[in-house]
Amino acid sequence: MEIRDENFRIWAEGTTIYFDGVLRLAGPDAYAPIHSLAAAALHENHERVVFDLTGLEFLNSSGINLLAKLTIEARRQSSVQLVIKGTTQYPWQSKSLPNLKKLYPQLDLQLA
Amino acid sequence: MSKTVLGIYDLTQASFSSSLRLTLSDGPLELGWRHSGLTSDFIAEAMALRFAASKTLHADIHHGIEYLSNELIENAVKFRLPGEIIIEACVKAEVFLMRVRNEIDAATSLRFRDILTGMLAADPGELLIQQIEANAASDSGASGLGLLTLLADYHARMAWEFETSGENRVRLTTTASLELPLTSTE
Repeated sequence: MEIRDENFRIWAEGTTIYFDGVLRLAGPDAYAPIHSLAAAALHENHERVVFDLTGLEFLNSSGINLLAKLTIEARRQSSVQLVIKGTTQYPWQSKSLPNLKKLYPQLDLQLA
Repeated sequence: MSKTVLGIYDLTQASFSSSLRLTLSDGPLELGWRHSGLTSDFIAEAMALRFAASKTLHADIHHGIEYLSNELIENAVKFRLPGEIIIEACVKAEVFLMRVRNEIDAATSLRFRDILTGMLAADPGELLIQQIEANAASDSGASGLGLLTLLADYHARMAWEFETSGENRVRLTTTASLELPLTSTE
């Protein structure tokens, strides 16, 4: 499954969800299809689910809210290990992704 | 005409002479959500151009300006009454300064003033985490994270001026500053 427009692309490959491009949708309603795609992976009884953000250049605050919401969903479902892969190449990731660890210390946040 | 200032008062006195000035108008532009991204991209490109010699420095500065501009313009597009959004931006003494002016209705103004009063009385980092938890529990229509991420993650300084401009119309002027990371390892 894939969700895309001219600025971004989000897709699933196995238990990894890839986020690519520039994502600045208008709010929770606009982010709902992306939430459904990523939340489905968390609820499919996998041991490990990866959100790969290494291609995500920009995310607005509504999108940060989406990532936080998904992190809290993973926290509630302790049978799955959530891994978030990011990059220091895009400054927003170093600034905002560490907040996710505060929400869920068991989150495996990999910022390379 | 009543006026209320919240946040860092000194910012309201900041001069925007020799700044970039844009007016987004209703009408043929069909002003909408996508204009916030387009406009913030333009501001970041224009303001960060002088730092292009260092790739790392340029990326950091470009991103900070883009994020701040995008969040402020998104708010203006989302909450405004029909009418113009006036945007000014400049870089002075290692600081990016931005001012956004638009009109909102009286109820939005009151609600926003309440939110800001609470926000300014607390630690933004702690409030950000609390707000995220509250959003996850409530499915509310707006995340409310824009200003909190600017204060907590970007250490932006901000001021808001509310001036009655007509019946059920309040002119909101938001001024923000962001220190530019002018040291680089390159």
